[in-house]
Parts: sequence; structure tokens; C-alpha cells
Amino acid sequence: MTVNGSGTTAGTGTLPGDVPAGRTPGGGKVLLEVRHLVQEFPVRNAGGVKGGMLQAVSDVSFSLHAGESLGVVGETGSGKSTLARSIVQAPPPRSGEVIFDGVDLVKLKRRQMERLRRHMQMVFQDPFGSLDPKWRVSDIVAEPLVAYRVGGRQERRARVDLLLELVGLDPEVHGVRHPGQLSGGQAQRVAIARAIALSPQLLICDEPVSSLDVLVQAQVLNLFEKLRQELDLAYLFIAHDLALVKQVSDRVAVMYLGKFCEVGPSESLYEEPLHPYTFALLKSIPDPDPETGRVRSKDVISGELPSPLDPPSGCRFRTRCPRAQARCAEEVPELRMVGEDHLVACHFPLSVKSGGDLTAVGSAVAPDTASS
Amino acid sequence: MAALLSETETQILPEAVLEEIPVRRGRGWVRSLDIYIPGVFLLALLFVCFIWPYLYTIPPPVGGSILDAGLPVGSPGHIFGTTAVGNDVMSRLIYGGRTSFEIVFAVQGLGLAVGGLIGVMAAMMRGVAETVAMRLLDVIIAFPAFVLVVVIVLGLGASEINLIWALAVISVPTFARVARAGAVTVRERTYVVAAELSGSKRWQIALRHVVPNIITSLLTFAVLGAGVVVILEATVSYFGYGIPPPGPSWGNMIATGQTTMSARPSLLLIPCITLLITVIALNTLSEGMRRRWGAVR
Repeated sequence: MTVNGSGTTAGTGTLPGDVPAGRTPGGGKVLLEVRHLVQEFPVRNAGGVKGGMLQAVSDVSFSLHAGESLGVVGETGSGKSTLARSIVQAPPPRSGEVIFDGVDLVKLKRRQMERLRRHMQMVFQDPFGSLDPKWRVSDIVAEPLVAYRVGGRQERRARVDLLLELVGLDPEVHGVRHPGQLSGGQAQRVAIARAIALSPQLLICDEPVSSLDVLVQAQVLNLFEKLRQELDLAYLFIAHDLALVKQVSDRVAVMYLGKFCEVGPSESLYEEPLHPYTFALLKSIPDPDPETGRVRSKDVISGELPSPLDPPSGCRFRTRCPRAQARCAEEVPELRMVGEDHLVACHFPLSVKSGGDLTAVGSAVAPDTASS
Repeated sequence: MAALLSETETQILPEAVLEEIPVRRGRGWVRSLDIYIPGVFLLALLFVCFIWPYLYTIPPPVGGSILDAGLPVGSPGHIFGTTAVGNDVMSRLIYGGRTSFEIVFAVQGLGLAVGGLIGVMAAMMRGVAETVAMRLLDVIIAFPAFVLVVVIVLGLGASEINLIWALAVISVPTFARVARAGAVTVRERTYVVAAELSGSKRWQIALRHVVPNIITSLLTFAVLGAGVVVILEATVSYFGYGIPPPGPSWGNMIATGQTTMSARPSLLLIPCITLLITVIALNTLSEGMRRRWGAVR
């Protein structure tokens, strides 16, 4: 792949080559840095009476390098989607910083934000919901090109055809269809084609395969992998399924009730989960091998996510945590560096040996060598 | 580039093509009868009212000879008979219908354009502007429609064009409400968020996403409201505030027919039945449209 450094005017015919200026492909540059991001929504009770604030995302910080893929997992209602929406400023977060390519998006004016938005695009969970049923597929894919006035009519058409081919659709056949005439997988491919139309640097995928059946899931995941390599994309990949995220992520963040409880490289997080919640999530993945006949672990957590309107004091997971102690109710555990690039927010993190026993890391943990 | 595509494409393309679903065909014509029957009837009515008089000479609706006065239904040359002053009833029905349809088209056209614009703009602006605009329109809606129309017509003077303005004052806020309700539904759709992320401006989203997705429900509402406008116009004319007599209108035909109800019931019944069938046709058509296109998606 050749890097076209002067791609600011956005060439139209070529796709994987036209990298926006100032971008170092595959480099270790920090592309996105989120600091202390908080997003709240007012909750109204019956009759429009204000019923308090729902803190969907509370004090989340992380950074994402160019070309890197960060998976975010968590239960329904843990704030994953809100986090994604807050990053693209739709709507902007209540407080915190979202630094994209050195610019704090939260402070930007509407106009400036619109200009920057082309570098970050989003793929949504419901492919049909994210495609206007009245539009033809080729017009849907062309929408960002039209909005940013990329090329002329002919050039745009050529690029749309190229994009559709890139995501595995036939421009002749599928381009003229309406979303209602597509299957779920095809519709999601269209949404992906639209998202990469402007050659973004960051693609935020909000459970992009959750609504697809398993076979199609695999195909679309392969497509994400392929695009990442060819277009040098950074992903923020949101899912509620650890097994699925593993495939596409360099690092994985586990989210619980609006907070990150563990962030680490995929392998070490899977092999050595430190947070009891991560451990429980991993345990809940069904074992595909019936021969082993392994009984479901007793450690699988029970209960439901507490109301984010009234989160538990201290550690938010303590109400369901098998290891909770008095300290967990009093003190909010901060994310701290434990292993290499491995952060955990727990007073009593685990280390898991091959047998699956839980052993406290305890004193082995360096006290609060906070990340950044 | 091309090479890069062809190498990797082969792995993904076949599967994507495999998961085909057939393109849905149109529905059977039988199921659409609730659109065709009233539709054809209304088109026929429009034809009779607007084109028929140019193709065939029919007696004038006003200035009939007193010698022809009071002819019964079925008289030669006067199928529906004549009025007490000798005007041809059929002709008055046709010209009255023309007046009614002119008013309906103008009023609903104004309502659709102006009300639709206000409603969509309010929904897209959100916040205070939306609330203020909609509450102002609520004030108009809160007035009894008939009283408001009569007051406006009295203020402006009774004429067809003034009746149109008065009725438009009623229809614009209702269209605005329907348009805003639809636009609020659409603006929360993921594809609107996606359009925002794609860099589309708010007016582009309003014009290209919101309007196409609410236009069918607005049209359905326009046809439904047309029935109301026909009745309202007839009512206002019936009370003598609308089309000034002897100008033909279904409303004042009913009003004058009522005075001779026992002696000449046909003078009352003919405009009444025409009005009834027209309104039923409009309502049926509207219902058919709603069933066909559904509510706002």
C-alpha cells in the first residue's frame, strides 16, 4: 500500500491509498485520548418531574493509538453505546475531554466539529435502523461524499462502486436497491461502506454484529479485519460478547455500570483476568467442547446490573462481587497499572492460574502506579 | 488498487451474494380496492366538475329563467330539476363542487406546504424555538374551528378567496402538528445520527431524510382533512358566511333546499348526498393510503 501524503483534497478513484495528510500509517501516534469523560442524562418521572441524573458514563479515561483496535465489552446498560456517542459528540459529553488528533472535541464549535467528523465514523448496531428506508444503497454510501463535497458526480459514483466492491457487494445489483431489499449482513456492509467513504482514521463500531446471525457475524468480522489492514483504521469496537471482541481487538476494556473496570492487551486479559467481573464474564463463555464435560462454574455472577440512577457506593461491582469486602463499599477503586499495559480497578484483583483457581495478587500489586 | 481488490474480494464476495432475498413484488390489486374505488370516484367527480362544463354545454348555475322554475327531477334538459328561481340543480351541483374542490386544494395545499414547513423546522430546531412555535399553534387549534373561520370571513368579507384564507388558518396548525410529530420520530432514528456523522447539515437532513419519510403520512392526513374542509366550507356557506348566494356551493344549496324541504325534498337531498359520498370517499381513500403506507417509519 502506498501512502499518498497529499490526500487532503480526497482523491476519489483510489481508496486504500488516499490517507489524509499528517497521518502516519500504523504508527504509534496517539489518535484518540479520552480523559475523565462523564455523560449524564436527566431522568423524568411521570408528569415531567425531574427524577435525578442518570450517569451513563462516569469518569472514563483511555487512549487509542492510530491503527489500533480497542474492544469495549460490558452488559446491556453498562454505558458502552453512550461512550461511543459521546466520543463523536452526538450528543457531546457533560464533562471531560475527548482529544482527537491533538484537538479537544468537547471544546470545538459546531462548525469545527463538523469538519473533524469526517475523520471518525460510526457503524451502528441495527443496520436497517441506520439506513434511511427511502434511499437507494448507492445514495446512502454517497451521502458523506456529497456532504463533504468530494469530487464531482462521476467521481463520486466511481468511488461508491469501489466502496461497495470493497465491502463485498455488487454495485450493479445492490447499488440500486433500497435497504428493505437487503439482508441484515448486506445492510451492515452498506453501513460499513458509508462509514469508510471518507477514509476516516477512527471507526467506532457500536455492536456492529450483534443483530446478525452467527454465520454472517463471522463474515462481517472478517470484513472489519480486512478493512483495518487495508485502510489502516483504528477501531473502537463495542460488543457485549468477549469471545467476539477477542478476534478484532488489540486491547480490551471491560465496562461495568459506566466505568472501566479492566483494560489490557487481549491475550493477557483473556489468560489472566484481574478483575472479578472480567473473570466472571470469561467463565460465562460456553465451552464449545462437549468432551470435556465441564460443569458451569459456580463463580458465574448472579443478579442484575444495579440501577445507574443509584449506583452502589465505592466499587460499583461490589453488590455482585464474590470477593467484596468492607473496603469496597467505602473506597472507589481507581484504574491502576498492574501488569504490562494492563490496568484494573479493583482493591483485591485476582491472578488466575491455569487450573482456574483464584489467587489474590495482593501485595504483588504495585500501589497506585496510576496510568496517566 | 485493482489487484488489491481482486485478491481479497474473492473471499468475501461469494458469501455476500449467497445471502440473497427476493425483491418484494407489489401487492395484489384486490387489496388496493380501498384506494382504487374512492380514488376513481373522486377523479370522476373532479372530471365532471372541472372538465365536463368545457366539453358539453350545460345550463348556467345562476340566472336561470323563472319560466323553468321548480321543475321536478328527471325533467328534459334538467336531470335533477331546477330550483325555485329556475336554476339548473345539476349545474349548481357541478359548479358548487368546483368551488368546494378549489377551496379544498388551496387550503390543504397551503396547510401541507406552510404547516409542513413549520412542523419540520420546529422539530429540527428543537429546544425553545420548537416549544414556542408549537404552543403558539396550539392556541389557534384551541379555538373552535367554525367560530374562527366565521370571524375571519366576516372580518375579510365573504368571498371564495377569503374563505380559503380563513380555512387555511385552521389547517396550517394541524398540518404543523402532524409534521412535527412525524419529524420528531424521524429525527431520533439512527439514520439521522448517521447522516449527522456523515457531515450532512441540518437542512439537508430535514429535506432529504425527514421530509421523504413523513410525506406519505402528511398526504394521508391531507386527504383525511379534505373531508373536514369540505364539510366546514359547506357549513360556513350554509350559515351564509361563505360563498355569497346566488354563487353555487353545496353548503348554500343545502341551506336553500332546507327551506322547501317538505315540498321539494330533492333540492335538499341531492347536495346532501353528494356531500356525504364525497366525504366518505375522501375518508376511505385516506384510510386506504394509511394502510398502504403505514404511519411514519
